[in-house]
Amino acid sequence: MINKKIGSVLVVGAGISGIRAALDLAEFGYQVMLIDKAPHIGGTLTQLDYQFPSDHCGMCKMLPLVERDASSQYCLRKGLFHRNISLSPATSLVGLEGEPGNFQATLSTRQTLVDPAKCSGCGACADVCPVVVPDEFNAGLTNRKAVYLPVPHNIPNHYVIDGDKCTLCGACVQACPTGAIDLQLARRKEFRILVVDDELIVRDSLKEWLAEEGFSVDMAESGPAALAALARNEYNLMLLDIKMPGMDGVETLKQAKELKPNLPIVMMTAYATVETAVEAMKLGASDYLMKPFDPDTLVHLIFRLYQDLIKTGEVKLTVGAIVLATGFKSYDPAGGDNPYLYGLCPNVVTAVEFERMISGSGPHPGRLTRPGDGGEVNKIAWLQCVGSRNIREDKNFCSSICCMYAVKEARLAKELSDGKVDTAIFYMDMRTHGKNFQRYRDKAEQDLGVRFVRSRVHSLGQSDNQGPIKISYIDPAGEKHEEEFDLVVLSTGQMPAAEAGQLAEITGCHLNHWGFFQSQGFSLCRTSREGIFLAGSASGARDISESVVQANAAALAASSLIHGKGGGLTEVSSTKVEYRDVSKELPKTFVAVCGCGQTLTNTVDITALNNSVNGLPSVERVYHGEKICVEEGWNELVQELRQSNANRVLIAACNPYLYTRKAQELARQIDLSPALIEVVDIRTPAFSGAVTDRKQHAQNITRLMAMGLARLREQESAPVRETHICQKALVLGGGIAGMTAALAIAAHGFEVMLVEQTAELGGNLRHLHWTLSGESPDQLLAQTIAKIQKNPLIHVYEKAKVVTSVGHVGRYLTTIEKADGQGETLEHGVTVIATGGLEAQTTSYAYGQSPAIMTQHEFEARLHDGQLTPDSLKLVAMIQCVDSREEPRNYCSRVCCAGALKNALYLKEKNPKIGVVIFYRDFMSHGFMEAQYTEAREKGVILFQYQVDRKPVVTVHDGRVSITVRDIILDRDVLVEPDALVLSTGIRAGDNAGLAQIFQVNLDQDGFFVEAESKWRPVDSIREGLFFCGLAQSPRSLAESVATGEAAAMRALRILKNESLAAGYTVAEIRQALCSLCEKCISACPYGARSLDEETGRINVDELMCQGCGACAAVCPNGASILRGQHDKQVFYTIDAALQEVF
Amino acid sequence: MIAPNQNLVEKQRKFEASEGLAEVLEKVRACMQCGSCTGSCANSYAMDYTPRQLWRMVQLGLKDEIFQSRTFYLCSACYYCTLRCPRGLPLTQTISALKRLADAEGITKHKASMNFYRSFMTTVQQHGRVKEMEFINRYFLSMKDPLFPLGFAGLGLKLLSKGKLALEVPKFGGPGRFDALFAKIKELENLP
Repeated sequence: MINKKIGSVLVVGAGISGIRAALDLAEFGYQVMLIDKAPHIGGTLTQLDYQFPSDHCGMCKMLPLVERDASSQYCLRKGLFHRNISLSPATSLVGLEGEPGNFQATLSTRQTLVDPAKCSGCGACADVCPVVVPDEFNAGLTNRKAVYLPVPHNIPNHYVIDGDKCTLCGACVQACPTGAIDLQLARRKEFRILVVDDELIVRDSLKEWLAEEGFSVDMAESGPAALAALARNEYNLMLLDIKMPGMDGVETLKQAKELKPNLPIVMMTAYATVETAVEAMKLGASDYLMKPFDPDTLVHLIFRLYQDLIKTGEVKLTVGAIVLATGFKSYDPAGGDNPYLYGLCPNVVTAVEFERMISGSGPHPGRLTRPGDGGEVNKIAWLQCVGSRNIREDKNFCSSICCMYAVKEARLAKELSDGKVDTAIFYMDMRTHGKNFQRYRDKAEQDLGVRFVRSRVHSLGQSDNQGPIKISYIDPAGEKHEEEFDLVVLSTGQMPAAEAGQLAEITGCHLNHWGFFQSQGFSLCRTSREGIFLAGSASGARDISESVVQANAAALAASSLIHGKGGGLTEVSSTKVEYRDVSKELPKTFVAVCGCGQTLTNTVDITALNNSVNGLPSVERVYHGEKICVEEGWNELVQELRQSNANRVLIAACNPYLYTRKAQELARQIDLSPALIEVVDIRTPAFSGAVTDRKQHAQNITRLMAMGLARLREQESAPVRETHICQKALVLGGGIAGMTAALAIAAHGFEVMLVEQTAELGGNLRHLHWTLSGESPDQLLAQTIAKIQKNPLIHVYEKAKVVTSVGHVGRYLTTIEKADGQGETLEHGVTVIATGGLEAQTTSYAYGQSPAIMTQHEFEARLHDGQLTPDSLKLVAMIQCVDSREEPRNYCSRVCCAGALKNALYLKEKNPKIGVVIFYRDFMSHGFMEAQYTEAREKGVILFQYQVDRKPVVTVHDGRVSITVRDIILDRDVLVEPDALVLSTGIRAGDNAGLAQIFQVNLDQDGFFVEAESKWRPVDSIREGLFFCGLAQSPRSLAESVATGEAAAMRALRILKNESLAAGYTVAEIRQALCSLCEKCISACPYGARSLDEETGRINVDELMCQGCGACAAVCPNGASILRGQHDKQVFYTIDAALQEVF
Repeated sequence: MIAPNQNLVEKQRKFEASEGLAEVLEKVRACMQCGSCTGSCANSYAMDYTPRQLWRMVQLGLKDEIFQSRTFYLCSACYYCTLRCPRGLPLTQTISALKRLADAEGITKHKASMNFYRSFMTTVQQHGRVKEMEFINRYFLSMKDPLFPLGFAGLGLKLLSKGKLALEVPKFGGPGRFDALFAKIKELENLP
């Protein structure tokens, strides 16, 4: 049944976007190598428990929805398993050759000195480790040992050794019950270092330090002596002093490089010769150390070089494409000027630290305490733009996410304290530029009492190091205030990932000025090199939903490339697996008990256990393995099972999550449905505390096993059903998002019906003529339409609209009314809704009273067609947020500030003498757009911030427009008499009500389509098979619309690529005889998987849409609705087994 | 209301037309009114406009009001605002430029301040340091108002009683110790 390999992709970085891209590609059928430099997956998200807007975690919503059993179905923060994904933590990309479609990537895995195959995660090593260092997971708020779990909640969870901090004492080696730890002391001994310095004291102390670390050290007192030593012996590293009498360090370096070109050489320098050291780096030195150095810095550097040299064999891998999802690094506020006393005052924390503080797995589970003295927290301040929007530090960009996470954190603080904590957010512009952001913020302010203070706090002063921190600030009116806070949270921005520079060099992809990967043109995922794509924050600050969308888009780009290069996509064998039919057999269960080393024998009376388990119904045999989680133990178990004729398997071991992959392998090896293999956790109770009664303990464990047996006994083994897929797509809307989606789907060889209600393709793209980034939208429009017209797989229906649609994922029948009034019914497997949005109309600000007052689109059109010229205008005024960000249109349209900036800069470029005035509330120049905001100010555009209760007043006299606005800073009215007044009215939803009804999906209160989940499934609808993109869903920029079009296509392609598709094992079923057609289940189903078939008078369940949540079974009054693998009998028998002793 | 019936652009144009003011405007154009400067300013309590307001007035081209304000004369050049400005603007330099312009324009309102500065610098040029007695006498003389010193009598006595004023005979005229240095700076700054 093994899938024919159909091309593979390397995904670098296993954070949100890396996981998303990997899952998309894996679901499509590609083999994916997912690597991360960290020893765990999850990236930054492992540290974040709560995400806006639900204020919960929802990462699991990224898990596959169809063919669910191909993947793990548990918490994604704990781990990921998919049959097409190979996961390699602690691994970096170190070399790249070849060409797009056929890259040879060199991967290198860092040694953790603990063998993951042997480590059982018992923690005996950490108990004895004498080294205590700050724990990165809790952002330094707690401590860990040198041997530690990188993420406490990972499953499986293996210890790793931080070689940098390890003192090589060997205590852990002694303590490890499975012999998993090897400190490789011999290997260190083989690592020979030559220390060259003319001063004996330096040589001696270096030798002492390095020898203590287990390395072999030789010394030389001069350049010539060093060269002689090099000629005599092989060395792995040379430490070379720069200032030496006679032959100096640089000269020695030159000659040494001739002698041993590959020898890493580290220069040692005093401060005065730093420049020489930098020169030396150009001559081939690996690094330099500044004197006087402390042992920690030295050992850290040496260890890094040592690790580079001993990486466990580099692996070469051939892949078709590469996705870079390297994420971001949080700004370090301790660097630079450090005006906020970070690291000096314990009560100043970063946002990530705050997230850890309120986390259940944080230092004070869920309690807010002052880090300095453990005191009560009554007042918290958030300081925005720390490390962002700061030209002094060359950070002329906005990190985009900090405003919303600060609001979220303030809300969480309120929630945790029942509203008692006073929270204040100090900001310059509150950037609520995403869907539902503004209402979320307003709720925080109006309902929860979060204070929003428009003021940049320049620095912090505090008298008592442990106690409250004084903040003095100026309000917009110029009043000075002083307030004390218990806790100050720094909203630190997103900086490029540490390895971005190195990866850019390896891959040849360009970075932008700030060190993020540069995306190209209108694509957010294309790099300067074909075949290498970007996902998530690798290309700039991104929030979760943007990361997910762009990961989808990157996966699509990778897939398109491989497909285009003929990556062998022609033949995909079915994933269908037939297992031995045991439905007619009586249940016979093979019970495998794992002793977990000596743990079980130590705490449980084994004979008693055996006796009682053997007495349970359906038990065929009880097998004892010492450690079945390690490879040997497992193989032995498989051998035993092969010889058995049991038709059920119960594994009594530890966490069932650990066995997801193994159970599936086992199912294939012994030809038994995985549904008939059950794992129960007996390790947790076996370990629990001091055991007094071994017999009682045996009974407790027996009871757990009896529950598993009861479940298994009643388990059905019917194979997972498959649904036929009509491999065609319907795309509604011929704007840029719809066209992009159509082209991407057609590029994979599937037919697309593209339905556009107007007479021509293009949508809103027709209104755009220039962009902030300099690309030409007109060109994009022409090229895209030409591609659509040329593609034989795309059928365009212009002036057509949808009349009805029936069906569900895999097969929809949609009737459209065509231009000639004729109807046509289209059959398709998926639907993409890209019906766009409109520029909002207005009657505010005297619109309509003078030809000089126009909307932003109208202005751009008049400039484009020459009705207005920049030269003929003396002063242009623009008003932002027209009818926006207040009810009833209480949302930010995301594009208007960009549009205003774009047109302002256009005017200034064409006529530098022109006056441009922009009235705004919060300037939403998020991301790198901040640079253009600065540019506009530098070019003399005057910006007036206005408050919503004091908007600019526009009057028209004899066609002349006058605007009076209150300047907040001077607290005086300003009169502006422009030649043109441009209103940024924003984007409103189109008339989507009809479509929403036809496709049974919801609209939000603003008329945009509602996605399944705003963060984790941003382009999916709640109904599988139906996707949204572009403005139909929410306002967004051109490049973002393109990205959502690509994302929707990728999501659609997962389904389209199959002729038939299997659901998961756990799906709902109906006992028709018991069903009274009350239809309660239909409204209860959150996935729209249930419908009433009018013809047969039956309720149908769409197995592909059903996610097995069980809401229908709970709501059904007759017990007619059941969940496979969870039906009543099973559940009751399981409960009976649990309570047997009690009753 | 700021100058009704007058076009904002014309105001700006006029402002930019003056070379000195154009230079000042250039320095603070990128200001986004975050208020870091005002929050940092030790003297802002005594100013009629806060530093942030001053930059705003420059952006809006309110020339007359800028020179009627005493804000820039109260700047003690501590450089805090410059250090803390997230836009990296040369704010202390901007203030100095305004002081020079006000002097060049000969604005009566600032005569006392200007004379104070000048007396101070002349003393420094003479001795390479401040001689309080000479400095204060130069200042009083420059004001050409016999009643003027009376206003400082209280402060003077206080300083004397604490030994902060050395009773020295002021030295007027003759070559100063720092003449060459001052000449060089003039030359470097291209001043008359």
